[in-house]
Amino acid sequence: MKLLGITTSTPGSGVALADGLQVVASASRVDRRGHASFVVPAIDFCFDQAGWSPEDLDAVVVDVGPGLYTGIRVGLATAQGLAAAVGVPLVPSVSLDAIALRAATGRRHIWAVVDVRRGELAVAGYRPVPGGVVKDGPPELVSPERFRALLESDPDDSLVVGDVAALEPGLLKGLHRVKTGRPRYPQADAVVEIGMGILERGEIPHPDEIRPLYLREPDVTINWGAIRPDSPWGNAP
Amino acid sequence: MNPVVLAFETSCDETAVAVVRGREVLSNVLSSQVDLHARFGGVVPEVAARAHVEAIRGLTHRALAEAGVHPDDLDAVAATEGPGLVGALLVGHSYAKATAWARRLPFVGVDHMEGHLFSPLLEHPEFRPPAIVLLASGGHSQLVYAEDWGKYRVMGATIDDAAGEAFDKLARVMGLGFPGGPAIDRASEGGDPDAVRFPRALEDRPFDFSFSGLKTAVLTFIRQATESGDLPSLADMAASVQEAIVDVLVEKTLNAVEATGVRVIGGGGGVLANRRLRRKLTEAAGERGLEVYLPSPVFATDNAAMIGAAAVHHLEKGRLGYWTDSVDPGRRLDVRE
Ligand SMILES: [Zn+2]
Repeated sequence: MKLLGITTSTPGSGVALADGLQVVASASRVDRRGHASFVVPAIDFCFDQAGWSPEDLDAVVVDVGPGLYTGIRVGLATAQGLAAAVGVPLVPSVSLDAIALRAATGRRHIWAVVDVRRGELAVAGYRPVPGGVVKDGPPELVSPERFRALLESDPDDSLVVGDVAALEPGLLKGLHRVKTGRPRYPQADAVVEIGMGILERGEIPHPDEIRPLYLREPDVTINWGAIRPDSPWGNAP
Repeated sequence: MNPVVLAFETSCDETAVAVVRGREVLSNVLSSQVDLHARFGGVVPEVAARAHVEAIRGLTHRALAEAGVHPDDLDAVAATEGPGLVGALLVGHSYAKATAWARRLPFVGVDHMEGHLFSPLLEHPEFRPPAIVLLASGGHSQLVYAEDWGKYRVMGATIDDAAGEAFDKLARVMGLGFPGGPAIDRASEGGDPDAVRFPRALEDRPFDFSFSGLKTAVLTFIRQATESGDLPSLADMAASVQEAIVDVLVEKTLNAVEATGVRVIGGGGGVLANRRLRRKLTEAAGERGLEVYLPSPVFATDNAAMIGAAAVHHLEKGRLGYWTDSVDPGRRLDVRE
């Protein structure tokens, strides 16, 4: 089974081609804004390296976030276009899952973190199991303070992975049972691995249901003056 | 050469996909977000970008099906590169580039304004430069001297609000809905355009527009007329406001025609769907023996067929995009060849 994995939900973009779980080509770059100029050239490069053509693909796996809205949409639109053009399934993968999957731990409880800006973090907890991780629950948005409280109340030794560098300095200070580790960003080979699991379980959603995982409503300032104007003629329809 | 092009336009609040063969439109589909944004009183960039990524896959499927074109029959894929909202542009551009890459087709990035310049050609094959083209919408208002395809000079532009924005703001003042252009067009039916004479600004700058003074004048007028109790009917008011905007657009266009000596007028952008503007432009051109080519409303407002038409020109010139290309939200139309 030949898969393409794409992640552009964080400043760390990545593309990987895998045959089964064997990665045959990959490319990555760290750049908060450059997703659009990276992703198609990286795909082109990987196919070149692997000697594959687009028709060889069996599925496209894409990181749908949480993370940077624009980055997620660049990745998803690219994956949608590619999957539709080749006629193969599109498979969604969650950024935090990919980060947790590559966290190096034998026993610690894993907390994966993605910086979603505006002072909030997307986090999810995971338990290591042989051959992977199991998620405690769906990702949630928390303030840094709330995240610290979550770690404080965690009865287990824990490992924080993901964009730890984006946390306020000192946020984890004094939490003696908490360690930090890598990876910082989702890796495309982990995205492929997650996609492979979804395909094997036959859990592929309909392509129209594959949406970015924003976790919050758009920030909208409602212009009340525009909606309820004062007019001597009243409000025409 | 009549290449078959799959084209995308997502610069603002319409997700649009089209298939053209040369300048013939095989399909032209779009998912308008007007209702989505109306409750916010204007286009919200994040709301627009979200809607694009939800709509684009299904619309592409529909555009190909309606055109009766199999992806194997495509010769190129095109998308708007700018100007526009960055998050919105990136959706169509990314989708288009990936489609082109997967089908081993050339990719063409198109300037949104150049798309509008080509829009009259979709229904009027005889339209060709040299021409003065009036481009007016909610996001832009420009007078472009198209010396040739690909050779453009922006002669004048708005110094404050775009014409469509002026319609929106004035519609609010009169208690009409969003978007303002169609609302004022409808409300002015049966009204007297000469009921109230509002100022036509910028007499000293022959090719530029200004609409902010009009808003002030209208507000002042409404306040005074309400106080003195001789408020005109809404139809008369809407017709008079519309007349002020239309007169300025027509006059500046004619100034540009006179200054350049061209014999052809074109138009593009949502404001060109305004019935009064179309009539007055056509009449003024007729009186002077000028040719005028206006796209029907469906091709005047943002659409992907016009992006396809412009892309055909670039293909003919052999100007193709690169996989590393990205969008340029602040892109400006100017001499390119
Ligand atoms: Zn436009």
